[in-house]
Amino acid sequence: MTTAAPHQASQHSANIALRTIDCDVHPHLKDGLKTLGPYLPKAWRRRLLGDVSLGWGKEVYASQLSLPKNDIYINPVGSMRRDAFPEDGSVPGSDPALVVTQLLDGCGVDRAVLMGGNVFGLGALPDPDAAAVIASAYNDWLGEVWLDHDPRFRGALVVAPQDPQLAAAEIDRLGDRPGVVQVFLPLMQLLMGERHYYPIYAAAERHGLPIALHPNSVDGIYQKAATLAGGVPTYYVEWHAALTQVFQANVISVACHGVFERFPGLKLVIAEGGVAWLADVMWRLDKNWQALRDEVPWVKRLPSEYIVDHVRFTTQPFLEPSKPEHLWTMLEIVQGEKTLLFSSDYPHWDFDNPLQALDRVPESMRERIRGGNAIELYGDRLA
Amino acid sequence: MAMATRTAHVICPADELPPGSRKIVDIGGRSIGVFNVGGELFAIRNSCPHQGAPLCQGTIGGTMLPSDPHEYVYGLEDRLLRCPWHGWEIDIATGSPRWNHARGRARTYRAAIEDGQVVIEV
Repeated sequence: MTTAAPHQASQHSANIALRTIDCDVHPHLKDGLKTLGPYLPKAWRRRLLGDVSLGWGKEVYASQLSLPKNDIYINPVGSMRRDAFPEDGSVPGSDPALVVTQLLDGCGVDRAVLMGGNVFGLGALPDPDAAAVIASAYNDWLGEVWLDHDPRFRGALVVAPQDPQLAAAEIDRLGDRPGVVQVFLPLMQLLMGERHYYPIYAAAERHGLPIALHPNSVDGIYQKAATLAGGVPTYYVEWHAALTQVFQANVISVACHGVFERFPGLKLVIAEGGVAWLADVMWRLDKNWQALRDEVPWVKRLPSEYIVDHVRFTTQPFLEPSKPEHLWTMLEIVQGEKTLLFSSDYPHWDFDNPLQALDRVPESMRERIRGGNAIELYGDRLA
Repeated sequence: MAMATRTAHVICPADELPPGSRKIVDIGGRSIGVFNVGGELFAIRNSCPHQGAPLCQGTIGGTMLPSDPHEYVYGLEDRLLRCPWHGWEIDIATGSPRWNHARGRARTYRAAIEDGQVVIEV
């Protein structure tokens, strides 16, 4: 494998017996932004936390769930599993020891990729420097509190999308840290095919790190956040179901801008972004390409081929059609044996149980989805 | 492989099909377009392999060649017949969709000027 990037290896090279790789697990800051205080430069501690009785530290950043807060769409059943609260009552996903007991040991998870949590919405912050500083502090916290806690934890560096040069510098700073397996890119109101992002893609490609996406907690809420199509949803259930629009738009954007022609080593991971829409997007793009390809002549193959080669999708919330054969057909259409990565979304309310969620998946692709595709994607970084 | 028997059909005097013009003719119930593209003659079945559109009513031109992202390189001038319905680009010499051959191709026929007449072999 002399042609492979340093950290991208074939499915056979991870010389360890890994079966279940959970590609979407969320660590949370025990006390909101205040938890990151020790990891912030002094001036930024003053700027962001200052007098917490007066400033953002109390009103916005003390949130245990997202920075900035989503006070508009509130999950009526609670956004966390009720059985995942640590004994001291702090937010689920804030105690690494409990995650080890409940998820890794409890559900036979061999590797858990930690991503996001409070920083999902970072792209919505109007201040690019604040977003970048928070990202760096989070990454140091993730390494110290989580990645060093248990050898089964892996992590996604978060970068702030507002300033791509700062984001690339952050990838260079920590991209080769042990335990890091990908870069989490919070989205904002600029689709991912745009050249704005290219320094980030170049840095990720340079380090052999996939770029991961995830619903951003604040989609459609803040002006700088990723927008939802059509208008403003009324209910949480409506907003939550509509979130997959953001990923459809971004997959179409990167395909049409030839991002994978420009960055042939780049991989995208779409976590919790849905799967079944992919059938329609691929068919529709391919059909349009027949007639309209000379508008985007750098798309040299059927757009769906780039998607299958470069984009991976995590499974949760997994497809649960009433007829199992509909699941089988959909998995075949989206080439699940190649494109899907198992995920639980622990400790969120819509968690998929690693011990059961894939039971209806045909055997021909079940182990690929459970771990094989992740091993192929992350290679030696899982070892 | 057995060769199908082909018959030469006279379409028109050569001066009735000058460069840049076309004629759509019926030959034994088949609609066929005969094109003079810069002095070169082509004959192609008037039916798009995609959904049966009257292909020969499409425009002849070139297209953007596969290129690096965000750069345009124009080429294949006068080699493509663009279907009037869905815009598929058909290679006028071979009848094949230029970028995706999955749907088959439109039949093409030999066309030439013989004794001052445009002749095609069907």
